[in-house]
Amino acid sequence: MTTISLQSIDKSYGAVQVVRNLNLEIHDQEFLVFLGPSGCGKTTTMRIIAGLEHPTHGTIAFDGKRINEWGPQERDVAMVFQNYGLYPHMTVAQNIGYPLKLRKVPTVEHEARVLQAAKRVQLQDLLHRMPRELSGGQRQRVALARSIVRKPQVFLMDEPLSNLDAKLRVIARAQIKHLTQELQVTTIYVTHDQIEAMTLATRVAVMNEGVIRQIGTPEEIYNDPHDTFVASFIGSPAMNIFEVQTNASGMAMMQDQNTGIKAPAQGQWTMGFRCEDVKVCDSQSASLTTEVFTFELLGDCTMATAMFDEKLLTVKAAKDCRMQSGDPLHIKIDPQHVYWFDRQTGKRWRQT
Amino acid sequence: MKRIPAYVWLLAPALLFVAAMALFPLLYSLVLSFREWKLAQSDVPGQWVGLDNYWYLLTDDPELMESLWATLIFVGFDVALTVLAALCAALLLQKPSRMSTFTRILLILPFVMSPALIGISFRFFLNPEFGILQFLLSLVIPALDGRIWLADRWLSMTAVITSDIWHWAPYMTLVILGGLASIPKETQEAAQIDGASHWQVFKDVTFPQLKPVLGIVLVLKTVFALKAFDTIFTLSNGGPGTSTQTLAYFVYHTAFHYYDLGYAAAAAYLLTALLMICSFFYLRLIFKK
Amino acid sequence: MTSTSIPIPGYQPTLENRLWTFVQQALILLLISSITLPIFWMTITAFKWPRDVYSLNSAIWFEPTLTNMVTVFQHPWNLGNKILNSIAVASGAVALAIPMATLAAYAFSRYEFRLKKTIFLTVIASQFLPGAVVVLPYFLMFKELGLLDTRTALILINLSIVLPYAIWMIKGFIDAVPIEIEESALVDGAPRWRVLAEIVVPTAIPGIITAAIFSFTLTWNEFLFALILSKQDALTLPIGLIGFRTDRGDLWELMAAGGILITTPMFILSLLVHRQFIGSLTAGSVR
Repeated sequence: MTTISLQSIDKSYGAVQVVRNLNLEIHDQEFLVFLGPSGCGKTTTMRIIAGLEHPTHGTIAFDGKRINEWGPQERDVAMVFQNYGLYPHMTVAQNIGYPLKLRKVPTVEHEARVLQAAKRVQLQDLLHRMPRELSGGQRQRVALARSIVRKPQVFLMDEPLSNLDAKLRVIARAQIKHLTQELQVTTIYVTHDQIEAMTLATRVAVMNEGVIRQIGTPEEIYNDPHDTFVASFIGSPAMNIFEVQTNASGMAMMQDQNTGIKAPAQGQWTMGFRCEDVKVCDSQSASLTTEVFTFELLGDCTMATAMFDEKLLTVKAAKDCRMQSGDPLHIKIDPQHVYWFDRQTGKRWRQT
Repeated sequence: MKRIPAYVWLLAPALLFVAAMALFPLLYSLVLSFREWKLAQSDVPGQWVGLDNYWYLLTDDPELMESLWATLIFVGFDVALTVLAALCAALLLQKPSRMSTFTRILLILPFVMSPALIGISFRFFLNPEFGILQFLLSLVIPALDGRIWLADRWLSMTAVITSDIWHWAPYMTLVILGGLASIPKETQEAAQIDGASHWQVFKDVTFPQLKPVLGIVLVLKTVFALKAFDTIFTLSNGGPGTSTQTLAYFVYHTAFHYYDLGYAAAAAYLLTALLMICSFFYLRLIFKK
Repeated sequence: MTSTSIPIPGYQPTLENRLWTFVQQALILLLISSITLPIFWMTITAFKWPRDVYSLNSAIWFEPTLTNMVTVFQHPWNLGNKILNSIAVASGAVALAIPMATLAAYAFSRYEFRLKKTIFLTVIASQFLPGAVVVLPYFLMFKELGLLDTRTALILINLSIVLPYAIWMIKGFIDAVPIEIEESALVDGAPRWRVLAEIVVPTAIPGIITAAIFSFTLTWNEFLFALILSKQDALTLPIGLIGFRTDRGDLWELMAAGGILITTPMFILSLLVHRQFIGSLTAGSVR
């Protein structure tokens, strides 16, 4: 049973504050993903959990016990680094076995556990190779094997897939998911790739500028974003977010065009809608008309992009739709899937 | 009791040793330079004379004046010619080829040879009767025929400078080659595409990017030239007379031939002061990055 | 023409370019000869009878002999003894310097603390001290301790000469070790000292060896302190060389033989690690 609790964590490097007043309870056996752009503080937060950094203020506790002063050796966590951190002068077997060697595990058991860990990631035939002889994907699996060879309280993974090519990434992602489910260990995962977050996590913590903007299940994050940052960060392509103004009858107007959607109240709003919730239609039923900027064939669908209000507006269309740059684009927004945000604060408005 | 941080244990052996072996003698020398101590007369340091040693050193000692002059000539020509030769050699060896790879390996050798041996070797080569260099040079330059190198002030200085260049220039060439390698080739290629000739590429693109390395090389070489002792000792013994006696040699001579220890300490501190000026420039260059 | 040259963009084999290439190749040859000829000359001198050394007539076509190589080991020159001293002093100094320097270099590389920069600069700056300013206090100090003319004294002195260089070079190599493998080891459960011993040092070993060889070379060739501080028992090879200066004149053939003995080990050592040697010399200075 390992719960991790972070209370009022601050981390500054000199004058630069990287993590601000972070509060978080991580439940046993959950797969928590820290998601955010570069520099948002997600890696720092994880390193604080690992014991590689110490918080400037705040408390971190494992199972209720305060562990601020504990070094990484004492915390019984396992970590997979972005660049894997393999020991260049040791074989694969020695790399995987190093944590066991440190704990003076007897030889027979040591070898058995190394073999078992290697088998779990299909590395059993490469045990005698040196890291420099391995491909990127193989190195990543060595790092994984090293982290599972002992039974740690927590798995920490720092962007482990970012150095792999796209195809390998999909395979490795599946492997990680399967592995962590099988081993039933609390896992904390850092990434800037929202697809990884959505597919792997039981909960996602979206971070920006040192603060957690929203924490919830992937579904909650996607369908119920708290603010414009989360809304635009999740989803690929990004959600269409535009500034609108109500007209006399309370309809939202985008650049003098009536969207056909009623705003929650009079005034200025920020309106968001995903590309799959806006449809291409004919000029009769359209609420917005603009011009195609680019048109992309994606195989299973097509994507039409327009420039609206100096921003890109993306519309997902059927895979047999065909358009050209410059063609007129008539679209209709689905009123059921519109998100409203406060114009000033960016916070999501919800019907009470 | 507060835990002693790890780095203290790591640093302690080296730092304590350096403190003992460097600081202590430095301070001792300093104190000594304010006293008079002629070993021939007394077994222990003599009385306190304050700044007299320094005063005499800087105002009244003709031998020191000559030594400073010799130091100026030695260091000036040595550094300038070494850096120039190293730069030319580096440019020559820049393009990869079998010959340049072979030559680069050769460049390590003069540096690992004992400077004392180099001095001895050149002394041998310049021997008036059977020195090979003396012979070959006098064929090429008739004015040198019959001249005894080590009996002539200027030839002697030339020999000393040359042997030091022989020792250091190859190493400096390697350093500059390293500097050249770190210049992005794209900058040079872009200039060529823009129409620059080889000389212009060097002048406008390569050289400006090489300046930091050259700065370091210049300062380092100056330091080593000021410290140079072994070669002078074995080649010319400071001679003829005292004409190739640089400051470093002067200190040795004063201490171990005249046995005038207090005075030698003062001269040593003068040399140290010069070196500290150089090291100041060096550290500034290094830490500009 | 060198067939393995990399083609220069826009290179036309005009007469002017061909001439220029020829000049460059000639200059490189000149460079090579300026390094190899003196070494060559000294080497053959070691194998000449004195009569061939002291005259230029039989300088090239001479009758080779090994007598010089044998004579230098005999009385009164006893180069064998001096070789042993040199080996002892250099090995001793390096054996002490490298561990001390590695620990200090690790501290400078991986830790932050107040005055770190100042202390580092002071250590590095100590290589700028002239031997002249410390040789006298050392002389007196060792005289008091009764350590004049001992290998111990020379080891201590050379240790202090070599430490700044060793710390500087090794720090450069430790800087190049990716911090992630150390963090991996920490997370795996290794205490700091094991991280250093089992992870960092093995990874930085090429650089540490290079620093060791560099330091060995410095000590092997060290002259001033050996001159002043040793008289009979602790004489090292460089001083042995001047021993060939007699009242009757310089015994060049013996000096040359001694020269071969003192230089060959250094040549071999430096060629063994020449790739890192070049890399570290340039990296350390250019930084």
